[in-house]
Amino acid sequence: MTNSIGEFDDADLFLITGSNTTTQHPLIGTRILNAKERGAKLIVIDPRTIQLAEYADVHLRQNVGTDVAVLNGLMNVIIAEGLYDSQFVETRTEGFDALKDVVSRYTPKVVKALAGVPTRDLEKAARMYAQADKAMIAYAMGITQHITGTDNVKTIANLAMLTGHLGRPATGVNPLRGQNNVQGACDMGGLPNVFSGYQSVANAEVRAKFEQAWGVTLSDTPGMTITEMMSAALKGDLKAMYVMGENPMLSDADSNHVEHALAKLEFLVVQDIFLSETACLADVVLPAASFAEKTGTYTNTERRVQMAYKAIDPPGAARPDWEIICAVSRLAGYNMNYGTPHDIMQEINALTPSYAGITHERLAKCHGLQWPCLNAEHPGTAILHRDRFTKGLGTFLPCDFKPLAEVPNEEYDFILTTGRIYYQYHTGTMTRRTSILEREAPRALVQINPEDARRLDIEHNDLVELASRRGSITLNAEVTDMVPRKVLFSTFHFHEAPINVLTNPALDPVSKIPEYKGCAVKIRRLA
Amino acid sequence: MKRLAKKDLLDVLKGWTKTCTVMCPTIKPQGDALFDTFDAATFTLDYGKPPNPPKSFFLPHSEVIFEVIDGRYEERTKVDKTLLFGIRACDMTGLAQARSFMNRDKTDPYYQARLDATLTVVMACAGPQNATCFCTTTRSGPCASGGFDLQFYDLGESFLVEIGSERGAELAAVPVFVKADEAQASGQVAEFWHKAVDAIPAVTDIHDAIARLAEGADCSPVWERFGAKCIVCGGCAFVCPTCTCFNVYDQARDKDSGVRIKAWDACLYGGFTREASSHNPRPTQAARLQRRHEHKLLYYNATDIQAALCGCVGCGRCSDYCPVHIGTLEVARAIVQKQDNSTGGDHDRE
Repeated sequence: MTNSIGEFDDADLFLITGSNTTTQHPLIGTRILNAKERGAKLIVIDPRTIQLAEYADVHLRQNVGTDVAVLNGLMNVIIAEGLYDSQFVETRTEGFDALKDVVSRYTPKVVKALAGVPTRDLEKAARMYAQADKAMIAYAMGITQHITGTDNVKTIANLAMLTGHLGRPATGVNPLRGQNNVQGACDMGGLPNVFSGYQSVANAEVRAKFEQAWGVTLSDTPGMTITEMMSAALKGDLKAMYVMGENPMLSDADSNHVEHALAKLEFLVVQDIFLSETACLADVVLPAASFAEKTGTYTNTERRVQMAYKAIDPPGAARPDWEIICAVSRLAGYNMNYGTPHDIMQEINALTPSYAGITHERLAKCHGLQWPCLNAEHPGTAILHRDRFTKGLGTFLPCDFKPLAEVPNEEYDFILTTGRIYYQYHTGTMTRRTSILEREAPRALVQINPEDARRLDIEHNDLVELASRRGSITLNAEVTDMVPRKVLFSTFHFHEAPINVLTNPALDPVSKIPEYKGCAVKIRRLA
Repeated sequence: MKRLAKKDLLDVLKGWTKTCTVMCPTIKPQGDALFDTFDAATFTLDYGKPPNPPKSFFLPHSEVIFEVIDGRYEERTKVDKTLLFGIRACDMTGLAQARSFMNRDKTDPYYQARLDATLTVVMACAGPQNATCFCTTTRSGPCASGGFDLQFYDLGESFLVEIGSERGAELAAVPVFVKADEAQASGQVAEFWHKAVDAIPAVTDIHDAIARLAEGADCSPVWERFGAKCIVCGGCAFVCPTCTCFNVYDQARDKDSGVRIKAWDACLYGGFTREASSHNPRPTQAARLQRRHEHKLLYYNATDIQAALCGCVGCGRCSDYCPVHIGTLEVARAIVQKQDNSTGGDHDRE
């Protein structure tokens, strides 16, 4: 997030897209509902009538995968009506002419044809967003899990820069992270192309710093993303895999492909707190400690690093992840010898400029510090890009609309979009072992619009078969007008109906994220 | 009444550990004061309102009731003789209410076993522990009116000790507890009580909300508004001294082995009232919140509330801990104000 969670309490307007906020980030969702009560405005851009849509001043219910077209359409109206922040554009940005050129093609009429969004609503949303004093954009995986995920994010940034809704309190571009520490995992270099703090492996100076600290020679070539690893494994180019706290058997697109890829490996190690579907395929399973059984830090969606202390001992042979990694590393011939999480944090402080001032000692005395925090006296950073962008001027990166990788045809005539429900978490390794949560949501459901259901003779709770070009699953139907016609929604929580058997492994060319949010499927009632 | 010099308290607690497990406020490494096993090094009297009521000592968060091993049943409930030192008056009232409810028409043997094995020592409050305390409104504090074994009044250098039961008298039957002059002691208790009551302001919203609910006022906008925001964590029920709902379920290891578990439950969950047919008599979160709050403020059983005002004992924890601010205080205020500025948008769609 460029801004911070507390600022939701001060914003005048929210533009929420690709985020079912009240369900997936309920505390932020409640801040938005409270803001509505004090008169803030709300724009929701989402194909589904999520709870927030019922509170929205405008709900743009776009066709799945047409985000770039809708966002360009907003900018088209804002520029055409002279509502953009010309001072911000002139002093803080570059590339405005190129943006203007691209978005000029996305008139409300064109957007209506591409995205199915009424022109009046598009114009209303554009005016509301541009004219608000403090407007926050929040988005989540509905924006990123497309082959155009990177384009979608760039286009959101364009919109915020165009209107000057950046670098000030209660504004900004705010991706809501889906896990308590996914920000931290990325910050620590859990990515193929960077060391901690997004320091590039291609940068010789950076590499030299890490080589000196670790006493090894490091590669200057980025590694593979998880989706690329699976393809490499299938081809036999990748021989072994070490999976930690991840369950690709349920979470990766095109599960059959993943299963073949994992089977092809010569050696699979899985480190997790429970025996996940992926762990069941492993040659070696290393039992890890849960959050309550170890000490360390988590970095949340607002870049806030927070301390968590061990409360109970791990069961059986389970150990904290860092201890397991050190032990494996030593056996493999590298003498990795951290004594405590404190030692590791000191190394992070020394090698990661944005974390330099975030020490365990400081964290013990406060409710966390937000990076960048450059030294022991630095208070941390609530708002990014305040007076200048990290790179200097903000560059508009205009994008054109590209359709879903797999559009419906006569046979596969529905678009399946996937996501999450309130009571289950990701592949259910934890929540499906929790009786209260399982009681709330014990089985997979697929949402279907009442008109489609009537046409296909499907009633609420009927068993249906969903099939894509990659496989099929059976599950129960939930008939609801939350989804528009010709769109189905389901989740990846349930191993009994693994939705990712169906999803399309087509990747965003930059981030390599699969298009979980849209693939072509067919649906029929079973007997 | 007896009197105990403050300097002798640690020795008294240490003495009690010989016959039972003494649970008392302790300072944790991060500065929190929680109830834990007595340790002279971490014991504290500066603990305010403990984050949790003492109910888990009687109704554990989860407990294995019995285990099945190769088809053989073995009871697993284990009860230790325990002394709770320093519980607050609101929690004592909550415990008294829960005790009445749990054993009203049938004895819960697991709950009863712990009641029998547990001694309670109340520390009367000299004032509010934080801004959400309203025990004077709910007639559940600042001093407990009964149900305890001992009640301590902190007078600075010494405690006045009120004996509430025979078990309490036994606890105080050691020489450091000296007999107090009754007239002087009751004067001091009255003064302590008056000062404390004056320091804990009455919350008229609670009385007014109870009256409104009783007269059948339409509060649906309040329930709808809070229902939309409730995140269904169940935390309000878990920190509530009078909430005692639990669920019983089995965890099978294989066909002949497994455990039966009793665990806390909450009426805020859809599954709490959902029937086998999937029909739910409380189908929305608004309906579930209404049920919970009406249960505390309207539908309580007069026997169970033990001469207090209602089924809420005014500890204020739901207001302290609800992440989205739906505690009894907020609900009562909303009922009184009859806030119906619903957050609905204008649904401007073509």
